[in-house]
Amino acid sequence: MADNEMKLQAEAVPATDGKKKKKEKVHLKPNLHNKTVRPTTADRVFQIIVDVFMVFILLVIVVPVWSTITLSFRPNTYIGTYLEGMFLPPWDWSIDAYKALLGNDGFALAFFNSLKILVGGVACALFLTVPMAYVMSVKTLPGRKILSTIVIIPYVFNVGMIPSYLLVTSIGLQNHLAAVFLPGAISTYNLIIMRQFFDGIPGELKESARIDGCSEIQVLMKIILPLSKAIVMTIGLYYGVSFWNNFFNAMLYISDNYLYPLPILLRNILMASGMNEYVEVNAFGNAPVQAIKAASVFLSAIPMVIAYPFIQKYFTKGTLLGSVKG
Amino acid sequence: MTIDKKNKKNGSATVVVNAPLNNRGRLGREIKRHTSVYLLLLIPLIYYIIFKYVPIWNAQIAFKDFQARRGVLGSAWIGLQNFSDFINSFYFWELLRNTVFYSVGKIIISLPLSILLAIAIYECTRPVLRKIVQTLAYLPHFLSWVIMYGILLSLLAPADGVLNDIIRLCGGTPIDFLSNVSAFPWVVLISDAWKEMGWSAIIFIAALMGIDVSLFEAAMVEGANSWQRIRYITLPAIRPVIVTVLLLKIGTILDAGFDQIYMLYSPPVYSVADIIDTWVYRQGLLQFEFGLATAVGLFKGVFGMILMLISNKLVSRMNEGSSIF
Repeated sequence: MADNEMKLQAEAVPATDGKKKKKEKVHLKPNLHNKTVRPTTADRVFQIIVDVFMVFILLVIVVPVWSTITLSFRPNTYIGTYLEGMFLPPWDWSIDAYKALLGNDGFALAFFNSLKILVGGVACALFLTVPMAYVMSVKTLPGRKILSTIVIIPYVFNVGMIPSYLLVTSIGLQNHLAAVFLPGAISTYNLIIMRQFFDGIPGELKESARIDGCSEIQVLMKIILPLSKAIVMTIGLYYGVSFWNNFFNAMLYISDNYLYPLPILLRNILMASGMNEYVEVNAFGNAPVQAIKAASVFLSAIPMVIAYPFIQKYFTKGTLLGSVKG
Repeated sequence: MTIDKKNKKNGSATVVVNAPLNNRGRLGREIKRHTSVYLLLLIPLIYYIIFKYVPIWNAQIAFKDFQARRGVLGSAWIGLQNFSDFINSFYFWELLRNTVFYSVGKIIISLPLSILLAIAIYECTRPVLRKIVQTLAYLPHFLSWVIMYGILLSLLAPADGVLNDIIRLCGGTPIDFLSNVSAFPWVVLISDAWKEMGWSAIIFIAALMGIDVSLFEAAMVEGANSWQRIRYITLPAIRPVIVTVLLLKIGTILDAGFDQIYMLYSPPVYSVADIIDTWVYRQGLLQFEFGLATAVGLFKGVFGMILMLISNKLVSRMNEGSSIF
């Protein structure tokens, strides 16, 4: 009882303090379930349904992932259904599939190609997006309207993949890792989010820096960027995820086995009906084909899963910036 | 003419500083004052011209009989031949139907699910459960469709996936989900819901967080139970967000998800799986029908543009002035 009252008091502060306080703790629901009013049967039924639904969602998310994980640890001697495989005790698991994949150069090579695309892509994308977003937010700039129009036209009018394909091949980017990230190095959506953020920085800050003799580049580097760490981080992550996951550009422009990024390698492994079809990986040892496929899925997902807890916060922020304003 | 017009618009912000000068001189001075800003713009603008505008220029091959060795400019004009070929072909309606079916189907399945999930996360009284569900539900959004395909394989593999094991346990006959014409659309719709449900819930959760808690407290005191609070407070409060999300989806209705379909489909299910984008890909890049494929892409681009402008107009009308562009 006392506990509940304490909670009520704690909750009362953000509730009365308006929007600002609440926004800080976005993930905390104002606790209405303190027993200020006796809950009715309907309320209890409601809470049970909510809990059941949450557990249901949890299962729906976890089961497919779990089936992939257990599949990847399946030993060669296993004879049973997939369903039974999900309940295989960990001491019967085998790591042959992982040994086979990690012992093979192809996987490490693809991983490093993906890493290069990630680092190069994010650096390049930020190098292009940040200055452009900044320039678009300079309110006194003659021609600002024209610039907005230049940005919006290709965003609204998407001519499709063939014209871009012709462009990339005509400037000789085939079989360069840059072909994976360059076509998407400025995403209009990210550009607009960033501009909106820059728009919110008070103009006086820039003005005073200019009066003190800063050049435009110095204003951007010394005044704007330090204030915009969060948004640069968010947008960088947006780009990072899109480059890391991109398989379409790699599929179109990269035909050299040594330049394959992870998604392409994974796709080739998954699409191969038998492993002997997949010639680049030859030392598969004694793991079953299904296990190797599942293990490659798991290994490809791991970097994202590890990075995810750190980036989740920024992502949620970014989505909200882009969607609901104010 | 244009310079004067521009000048009036841009000059207004700096009127105080430059009041005594005439228009032309002021514009010149303004431009000069901003030289370094333009310099910052130089590289991104070159990028924009190359990677965003050259493709638009290249799109002219939609009206040409494109021959790779002759190039974009050298190929002969054939007018609207490519377009009429497409519109009169049997696959025209099939592609359009599949595309619209998948984008509308995804909205119908995902939207209510994500709203339910948002409300459940908001109403859940167990912090640990809430945190776990919230974190896990966002995660699949970050996985690529290649990885998703791998996960789906272990579930839906033709002879021995988990789902087929369950079907067999219940005494049914196994289905090859990924190459069965009647099962495939469901695989697409449900796997998309699985991947994006949590992520699309974020915006609704944010809207829920914005509800004034005193409303709930007042309702409780008045004797409203949880269901009534959902019905009369929560849902009306997030209604504008739901409508906005729906309107924004109108703008992208011709994008049915290339990556997903491309990873999941195979020749047996082309008739129900092929969307405009996958068809353009196959026709253009595998069969080298560049002109025809570009025409179809352009067709999609023009209608996509119209839909996007309509949706933007409706959104800005609804939210008084705030629009995407």
